Amino acid sequence: MKLYELSASEIVRGIRNKDFSAVEVLRSSLDRAGSLEKDLNAMTAFSSEEAMVQAASVDEAIARNEEPGMLAGVPVLVKDNMCTKGINTSCASNILKDWKPPYNATVVDLIENEGASIIGKANMDEFAMGSSCEHSAFGPAHNPWDTDRVTGGSSGGSAAGVAAGYVPLSLGSDTGGSIRLPAGFCGTFGLKPTYGMVSRYGLIAFASSLDQIGPFARTMEDIALSLQVLSAIDPKDSTCSRRQRPVFNSALQRESLKGRKVGLVKEFSEYDLSPDIQGAVNKTLRTLEDAGAEIVEVSLPVTMTSGLGAYYILAPAEASSNLARYDGVKYGHSEPSDDLLNLYLKTRKAGFGDEVKRRILTGTYVLSSGYYDAYYLTAQKVRQVITREFNAAFAQVDSIIMPDSPAPAFRIGELIDDPIQMYMIDVFTLPVNLAGLPGLSVNTGFSSQGLPLGVQLVGPKWGEMQLLSQGSILEKEFGSAKIADGGEKR
Amino acid sequence: MAISEEVVKRVAMLARLEIDETEASSMAQHFDGILEHFNRLQELDLEGINPFVMEGIEGTPLREDEVRPWGNRDEALRQAPDSDGDFFRVPSILGEEDKI
Repeated sequence: MKLYELSASEIVRGIRNKDFSAVEVLRSSLDRAGSLEKDLNAMTAFSSEEAMVQAASVDEAIARNEEPGMLAGVPVLVKDNMCTKGINTSCASNILKDWKPPYNATVVDLIENEGASIIGKANMDEFAMGSSCEHSAFGPAHNPWDTDRVTGGSSGGSAAGVAAGYVPLSLGSDTGGSIRLPAGFCGTFGLKPTYGMVSRYGLIAFASSLDQIGPFARTMEDIALSLQVLSAIDPKDSTCSRRQRPVFNSALQRESLKGRKVGLVKEFSEYDLSPDIQGAVNKTLRTLEDAGAEIVEVSLPVTMTSGLGAYYILAPAEASSNLARYDGVKYGHSEPSDDLLNLYLKTRKAGFGDEVKRRILTGTYVLSSGYYDAYYLTAQKVRQVITREFNAAFAQVDSIIMPDSPAPAFRIGELIDDPIQMYMIDVFTLPVNLAGLPGLSVNTGFSSQGLPLGVQLVGPKWGEMQLLSQGSILEKEFGSAKIADGGEKR
Repeated sequence: MAISEEVVKRVAMLARLEIDETEASSMAQHFDGILEHFNRLQELDLEGINPFVMEGIEGTPLREDEVRPWGNRDEALRQAPDSDGDFFRVPSILGEEDKI
């Protein structure tokens, strides 16, 4: 077995055991990434030197018999919308292309303090706006299982890097499905935690009331381990909950789901799911039923008909406000102009890509005088109806099974000219953000074309423990995530 | 309700985003498609729901009002497109109102 094939937990155990060193693990990871990157384009920047310094310090700690940290020597890829001090953080946008933040995001500090080595930054849709990782100023990331296909987005590089074996662990962010969709398309585990579980300090804001950081990994043990590290309470983020976090890996031991209820959403029958995805959902339900769970039908009528409309009002509204800070004055790209108005107009024209412009314009429109009540306030009310529908469902069940997407990974270019069709891909993931719930994407196997088939387990707020239990039962049945050859077409 | 290219251009000015004719026309088309989804929300019964409440949010935590130095000012200023001593520099702003 090669070192890059190990899970994060195996790496930490091996390093503590002195089976291998952190520097050896890092070299294996960098070699793997270096050999596949030209085919996959999963990264926007390498930080090999900084990673090497970090790995060497883990090895020194081991040599001195000091505690090396919960993520000792684990190579990690960080989505390029999280600030890394002195290392390019571009959000895959021309407006931030050469920007080096003067500080670290809290999650970056947290994983580095536990001994992780950040090998670089992961490709993404510009400002996390997209479902395919094609809207990147660095060009699209490619799916390691079929390089003609998309990785899913927006955290496409984070998913592809884990699926291709660059790293055992990566960080993504999820505003409407941006962790769960690429996890599903690339065949990894991906967790979008409850809103408020993980600090957003240093996460470049897209839609502040929906954004949440979470991990990608190939095993459930690694999801639990990384969540433990990431979920630390942070006074720098006022929306980061002060509630005590549980010991997440204790959820993985459970063998039986006796007495647990799993919800199947009635309104799914109205959707045109691909037979492969329908099969994945059925297989998941059967496995959970075999473990003792009872399957119960739940209804989310407003969520399923109006979630998309409410999301594409609220997320762009927040984005238009958050992205007002890119003005060519304080940092990032700037177009020289004789007067301030033209500095703004021209800098933003040159700096933002098409999808970001669409969202800024949509958001500005729904917030503008005369339309604010009809659109923004209505969507806020619908958001509450959706939250109540989920609350009512979770009074009956412990989790809800949904697809990540109506179909597996599509071809690069297939939907790029049809933004609204692209938005529809997120119909099953975005309601979870509107209600602030946790969602876990699990790989159930592969289609006849060799494409990963993911499903999503959704829990009530702070229901991560139940999701981890069910995810680990599914892992025992379907196996841990496999490493793709990358570049090899099948 | 269709949105004209004129409205798109006005919105773009509000957003301080220059757009050309092609972008204005493609954006007007995009609005036609997305408004269909937005207008569906008007059909729901939303009587009595307060839009300013976020269910399940723990409230705003308070903290002591203490000075905590942030040692990165020089680095932040160094990356500014244009700066002057401790300040960001911008082009002349007087007379701007006439243009908007």
